[in-house]
Amino acid sequence: MRHQRISRLASRAWWSVSVLALAGVLVVLFGIFWFVAVRGVPALRPALFTTVTSGVAGGLENAIAGTLLLVGAGLVLVTLVGIGTAIWIVEYAPPRAQDVSRFLIDVLAGVPSIVVGYFLYVVLVEGLGWGFSLVAGAFALTIVMLPYVVRSSDLALSGVPQALREGAFALGARRATVLFGVAIPWAIPGMLTGLLVATGIGLGETAPLIYTAGWSNFMPSLAPTHSPVGYLTYVVWTFISQPFPQAHALAYAAAALLMIFIFLTNLVSRSAVEYWSARSRRG
Amino acid sequence: MRKLALTALALALTAGCASQTTTTTATATAPEVSGRLLETGSTLLYPLMNLWVASYQKQHAGVQITTQGTGSGTGISQAIAGVAQIGASDAYMSDAQMKGTPMLNIPLAISAQQINYNVPGLNGVHLRLSGPVLAGIYSGKILTWNDPAIVGINPRYASKLPHHTIVPIHRSDGSGDTFIFSQYLSYSTPSWAQGPGMGTTISWPAVASGVGANGNPGMVETCKNTPYSIAYIGVSFLDQTQAAHLGYAALRNRAGAFVLPAHATIAAAAQAMVNKTPKDERISLVFAPGKQSYPIINYEYAIVNPHQTGAAARANLVAFLSWAILPNGGNASRFLDEVHFLPLPPSIVKLSKEQIAKIH
Amino acid sequence: MNNLTQRARMQPVLGVGTGIAAFASAAIVFLILIFLLVFAWPAIRFNGSGILTGVIWNIGNQYGSSTVTHNGVTAQAGASFGGLVFVFGTIATSALAMVIAVPLSFLVAVALVYRVPRKLQPLANTLVELMAGVPSVVYGLWGIVVLVPWVGNQLGPFAQAHLSWVPLVRGETGSGNGLLAAGIILALMVLPIMVATLRDVILAQPPTIFEASMALGSTTWQAVTRAVFPSVRKGFLAAVLVALGRALGETMAVLMVCGAAINQFPSNIFQAVNTIAAVIVSQLDSALTDASGMAQRSLAELALVLFLITLVVNVVARLTLRGADRSAQ
Repeated sequence: MRHQRISRLASRAWWSVSVLALAGVLVVLFGIFWFVAVRGVPALRPALFTTVTSGVAGGLENAIAGTLLLVGAGLVLVTLVGIGTAIWIVEYAPPRAQDVSRFLIDVLAGVPSIVVGYFLYVVLVEGLGWGFSLVAGAFALTIVMLPYVVRSSDLALSGVPQALREGAFALGARRATVLFGVAIPWAIPGMLTGLLVATGIGLGETAPLIYTAGWSNFMPSLAPTHSPVGYLTYVVWTFISQPFPQAHALAYAAAALLMIFIFLTNLVSRSAVEYWSARSRRG
Repeated sequence: MRKLALTALALALTAGCASQTTTTTATATAPEVSGRLLETGSTLLYPLMNLWVASYQKQHAGVQITTQGTGSGTGISQAIAGVAQIGASDAYMSDAQMKGTPMLNIPLAISAQQINYNVPGLNGVHLRLSGPVLAGIYSGKILTWNDPAIVGINPRYASKLPHHTIVPIHRSDGSGDTFIFSQYLSYSTPSWAQGPGMGTTISWPAVASGVGANGNPGMVETCKNTPYSIAYIGVSFLDQTQAAHLGYAALRNRAGAFVLPAHATIAAAAQAMVNKTPKDERISLVFAPGKQSYPIINYEYAIVNPHQTGAAARANLVAFLSWAILPNGGNASRFLDEVHFLPLPPSIVKLSKEQIAKIH
Repeated sequence: MNNLTQRARMQPVLGVGTGIAAFASAAIVFLILIFLLVFAWPAIRFNGSGILTGVIWNIGNQYGSSTVTHNGVTAQAGASFGGLVFVFGTIATSALAMVIAVPLSFLVAVALVYRVPRKLQPLANTLVELMAGVPSVVYGLWGIVVLVPWVGNQLGPFAQAHLSWVPLVRGETGSGNGLLAAGIILALMVLPIMVATLRDVILAQPPTIFEASMALGSTTWQAVTRAVFPSVRKGFLAAVLVALGRALGETMAVLMVCGAAINQFPSNIFQAVNTIAAVIVSQLDSALTDASGMAQRSLAELALVLFLITLVVNVVARLTLRGADRSAQ
């Protein structure tokens, strides 16, 4: 009896600790938002979106377009390669190959992004003579995002209850049917989380892009090679080191924009999935 | 060859005029240059480069210059690789590097550096420091602010210098500031020259209280937040260090006088080194002779490959570089004052022009 | 149905297609490894075991004319590429980050799943993923403006006054740039990966696990720790490994707050450290000016060492998990 009361008290105490932990993390997070907002909002004005960077002033049109282009291209690639890899690991790979693939992917997560950037600089930018370019930058982002996408999709697909699969197979469904009809819909939230976390990391990367996408003060041309591309993290990284207050404001504005982008991406994709799963439940 | 040099000069002159008069004169009197240029490298020169490019492009609508702040080493190596046309560098290339690929080292402007400190109660005054004292601090031989070596040259503040551990802050990233600071220590202190030596990054002696900071903003922030610290910070950050209420030191020069960084003392040092500057302009301006000379100044370089393919691209590059060094072009005070840089002395402008003429 | 048969026909195509994707993923890892090996080869010969045992990092006198040759490989005079300080710092910062982030992410994830009202959950989830979207540079800036002064001027003096009996806390606390600041920043950065994954795997469990445990008379907390957690342990470990990978390789934010120690080790958690990734980024620019090229190649060798560390960490984690599974049976 007494023992029970103690464990109930302990339970309540632990829950308080966990809620406090959550609150603490949120406080730090809002602290960082505030930190960025206070410094960046003064620079957020309409001209930011319609003019290109000119010296330390001007707008961020080129960087915004470049970021969307680079991360967009990276996302397409990483979705194809990453989710493809995860499907192969869970659905097709022999057990030994499963272990090895997961192992390699976890190792890839530990490769510093600067190494990825420098590797591509030597091989693509210099070696193949592509110059600073959209494709080199998109490749760099793909490699950086890959481990997060593969691992979360892998976990999500592995988490599909065996009973669900077996039920579908029992009904005579084929492997691909089970995959698309049962497993993937079940795993969508987890896969999406992985893609969103990866998008966040991709948006926030600087090091791998400096050596691959380069930087440009002008709107990106859509040429795949031989044309450097600007992006927002470059502004954050280098304009902070400029001795001018207006350059700092631009840097924080770029940081604020990056966070707004990830927020919007998150909102749109989550509501799309909710809408979609609500419909499929009805259907 | 000569014809090209003449065109370059003509272009430079018209560009120079254009900055004073209007854009239309430039287009009316000379064939307008156009095309793309990529500049990358020194983060110290980057702010000035940005000011230049913004203004230059207004006069030359057909020119698109992209500037990148990536670091001097990157600037040099990408200029050699041909990925960029202009590699900006705080340091001239070493003999060993020149042996690999000969490049032009063209000075564009003069920058300086101040020694900042955060000693509560003394930030309002200018402490006196010397190369050997700084070398002692950065190698852990001088540990407290009231060390006899510091008190000895600051008798006025003998009672105010605290018995507190000095926190020496150095740059963690490769930097032209580290280059000229370590040159000052090397030239003034034989034991430093034998030990850590000089370079854009050096092997700092182990000092328990020592700490590295990233970039000039990191130096300012760390110095501001750490009482009893000392830091070397590029002159372009003068306004920031003053806003942070950091003190800055009078440094002992080669002649033994203590001088503060100022327009006159930097110019005096530059003038003292003019006659020593060789034709390829690879020289250190640090620890210049003369009673008035401030000891830590340097040329900011454009590293350019003398072989450029394509006549239009070459003309574009030559025109921009020629404009940058002109007193009424890029070296005008309305650009340089913003970052507290100094213009090139006339005879150096002449040498730089001769080097630009070598681009073919 | 028609649609379904069509999908069924795709099966072999799907197997081949995803197989190619998986092959590409694996190939990237090997390509990077081969690139590093080839690029670092002269440095491997020049440095020998020094890269792992040496303490002095010096790219040599760049403006002198003398060089040194070792094993047929040449570098500038005075060059010494000892990486032990950076290897130590890499492991120490990531270990500290994990000590903070593992329990914290568990607490935050269960609070998110079980204590945040259902209506607020989408918002809470968005906030967690938003945390992943804060650029690394911004974490670093926040670090030097907010965190480091707090560690240096509040926490440090407090620890000196009251916690001097704790072994790794005792001693000079310095400016706040150092192991502790780097560990905290890293913990914050890897938190979203761990929380999001743990939350997803908990939600993917059938709720019956929780309910059955409750029915057996455990408290809600016991149900979470004794029934739900064991069933998500593997998924959590996978998240921890990916997070650890990121911590080991994270660069900009660490570079800005770690104090960039060179040629020395910290004597407590407040003092300056340095990591392999931070050194690669901060030294690459100067290394590019090394005419002998050895500085650049030694950085590649450091990258290779980091690769090996990640490899070892992953092997150990997998073996531990396998051992734990066996003993549980």
